[in-house]
Amino acid sequence: MIPLELYILLASTMFTIGLYGLVTQKNGVKLMMCIELLLNSANINLVAFSAYQPNVNGQVFALFSIALAAAEAGVGFAILIALYRLYGTIDLNDINAMRW
Amino acid sequence: MYADYAYLIVALPVLAFLLCLFVGWHLPRGGGFLTVLATFAGLVLSLGIFSEIYPSGIVHQSMPWFANFNVGILIDPLALVMLLMVTFVVTLIHTYANGYMNGDPGAARYFAEAALFTASMLGLIYADNLLQLFIFWELVGLCSYLLIGFWYRKPSAAAAAKKAFLTTRVGDVLFLAGIILLYNNLAALNLDLKAGEYLLQFPVIYAHVAQIPADQLTLIALGLLGGAVGKSGQFPLHVWLPDAMEGPTTVSAMIHAATMVTAGVYLVARMFPLFYAAPYGLTAVAAVGAFTALFAATMGLTAFDIKRVLAFSTVSQLGFMMAGLGVGAAVGTFAVGVSIFHLIGHSFFKALLFLGAGSVIHAVNTNDMREMGGVGKYMKWTMYTMLIGSLSLAGFPLFTGFFSKDEIIVIAYEYGVLINFLPYIMLVLAAILTAIYTFRMWFSVFTGKERSDYGKHESPMVMVGPLVILAVFAFGFGFAAQEDFYSYLDSNFEHYDVDFAQLGMIGGHVLEGHGAPEGAALEEEQGAPEIAESGHGEAGDAEEGGEGEAGEPWYIQILPIIVAIGGILTAGLFYFDKIKKFDPSQVTGDTDPIRKLLLKGYYQHEILTGWFAETVVYGTALICNMIDIKLVDGWLNWLSAWVMGFAQNIRKVQTGVVQNYVTALVLGVVVLVVVITLAMEVGLA
Repeated sequence: MIPLELYILLASTMFTIGLYGLVTQKNGVKLMMCIELLLNSANINLVAFSAYQPNVNGQVFALFSIALAAAEAGVGFAILIALYRLYGTIDLNDINAMRW
Repeated sequence: MYADYAYLIVALPVLAFLLCLFVGWHLPRGGGFLTVLATFAGLVLSLGIFSEIYPSGIVHQSMPWFANFNVGILIDPLALVMLLMVTFVVTLIHTYANGYMNGDPGAARYFAEAALFTASMLGLIYADNLLQLFIFWELVGLCSYLLIGFWYRKPSAAAAAKKAFLTTRVGDVLFLAGIILLYNNLAALNLDLKAGEYLLQFPVIYAHVAQIPADQLTLIALGLLGGAVGKSGQFPLHVWLPDAMEGPTTVSAMIHAATMVTAGVYLVARMFPLFYAAPYGLTAVAAVGAFTALFAATMGLTAFDIKRVLAFSTVSQLGFMMAGLGVGAAVGTFAVGVSIFHLIGHSFFKALLFLGAGSVIHAVNTNDMREMGGVGKYMKWTMYTMLIGSLSLAGFPLFTGFFSKDEIIVIAYEYGVLINFLPYIMLVLAAILTAIYTFRMWFSVFTGKERSDYGKHESPMVMVGPLVILAVFAFGFGFAAQEDFYSYLDSNFEHYDVDFAQLGMIGGHVLEGHGAPEGAALEEEQGAPEIAESGHGEAGDAEEGGEGEAGEPWYIQILPIIVAIGGILTAGLFYFDKIKKFDPSQVTGDTDPIRKLLLKGYYQHEILTGWFAETVVYGTALICNMIDIKLVDGWLNWLSAWVMGFAQNIRKVQTGVVQNYVTALVLGVVVLVVVITLAMEVGLA
């Protein structure tokens, strides 16, 4: 059996990559992808702990989380399409109307 | 049974006020008949109560209001005679106003305000505690402001209204200070009040006034006197009263005769036990009153405006009333009867004179006596009723003024014998001047040649009628009512738990040897048996031995008659064609300093308005304005500018770039995690 630490290591690596992308990237689609990375790193944690401590709750949670992530992606891309129609770009540095 | 409806005396005029205010302009003559009816109903109710409780009952109703205060109705002899007088005189004035204000576009507003004025005065009279009295007192002030400034488009009327309001306000502040001081002192006594008794209720004040420290009493008395001085137009707060002529004449009649200026005298009479107990309380009242009486009378001599003559005369007569109360230091509660008697009599003949003057002005269309002359040929009714009023004011024998005013002079003499002759001398001089200026007015208006082309017709019946009724009272009231009135009013304070002997001790009215004979002498003359013991603080043994000295010599009794007739004759010699011996303009030229001084009203206008108001008050106002702008506002403006500047800088945080927000969020989480971890390491959480 693969040790639990490796799962956690994988999850935290994914989380860090996602966070790094979230802070540095300007493209809206890349940002959405980074957010998916964050969510899925959490899902890996849930499933891993659930498998090691015999309890299906974590896996059920993961399923919910995946469904939520799908919904979130749907809404997020819809917003991005709307932004693209309005501004002709999805570079978030150029879309800064809600500022001082 | 009537007493159960006593509240209606105030409620009905208030109802008339509301009706006139909201639907008045749909009604004929602005709904004036409503005001008349409401006041008349008050008169009927007052008469009913009078028939029920005369000669020895009082009506006292009260209900809790909040905390230590109540609302209530107290009708004792003092309040009852005032109620009767006010409702009676004001009914006549309102009736007259129906003719006088006919056709004025603001008639509805006039009658609404007049009704509220009446209601507040009536409420003031039968309030059973000082706080309630003060509330109505302020309402009276407000209504006077509204009515004096009735023709508010006229700048002089607006200015006069403002002057009246501000001047009386000075007194009101003192009055309020007096009330608060009184309340604090009463509260400090920790009284064991029975159910239904409240602090500031008059019976409670009367009962416990002796327990308040004497120096506090003096302060309270001076505060209350300040209120009375403002309301009753006494020196130095009299300046508003002559200017109050700017309102319609009926308003002047109401203010001068019944509803406003008498409130101050009434207050002093109402609080007489307190003034009696306060050292120097009554002395101050006497000094203010006597000085005002003389001071105003001299100004009445030179005024050309018929209404100003009457206004100065009111100020002067109010001085008489105040002085009459003040000399109560020598004669006790008897003074209340004498003074209130003059108040009532004065309200009859002063209302008569004002309404007569209004009738003349209505026809002649000017206030200036120099443009009148010979009016009597065209206005017989007005002339003869005014003659009765003038004779009464001058104190001609058998007229009301003779009985009331001269009694004040007589008790001032008693005061002179015991304490100080100064008030007496001033009052006698004022009485001479009263007779002179009254008849100067009458002669120059009604007799002689016509000095200008004016309207020559008598006023309508609705105006003459009240004049005739008032003339009957101005003539007969004093003669008919004097004795009963004195004894009735003298019994006023017997309904309460007042120990005048003890109060006299506190007030320093213990007058060895002298007190009793005066009381005894009065007793013979006036048939008022209570004076001796109620008036003087000394022990009973002094009273037996005091029969030797007479109350006052015959020449003191006779003097007022001589004064009145002499004054009238003097006026006649100057102003009445048939016996004219002197020409006023030759006796005193235009350059004569005394004449100029009087004509200018002792330069009060120059001093008070010209100098005091425009330099001292205006200068202070400028400085205050500077402080306000530079300091108070300046500090605030600086603060708000700083906040604005800070915000200008800090708002830059809102970049609108999502990554910045995410970065801030992540950093925040990191900081939180670090802090919490450290705290757990240390063991805080």
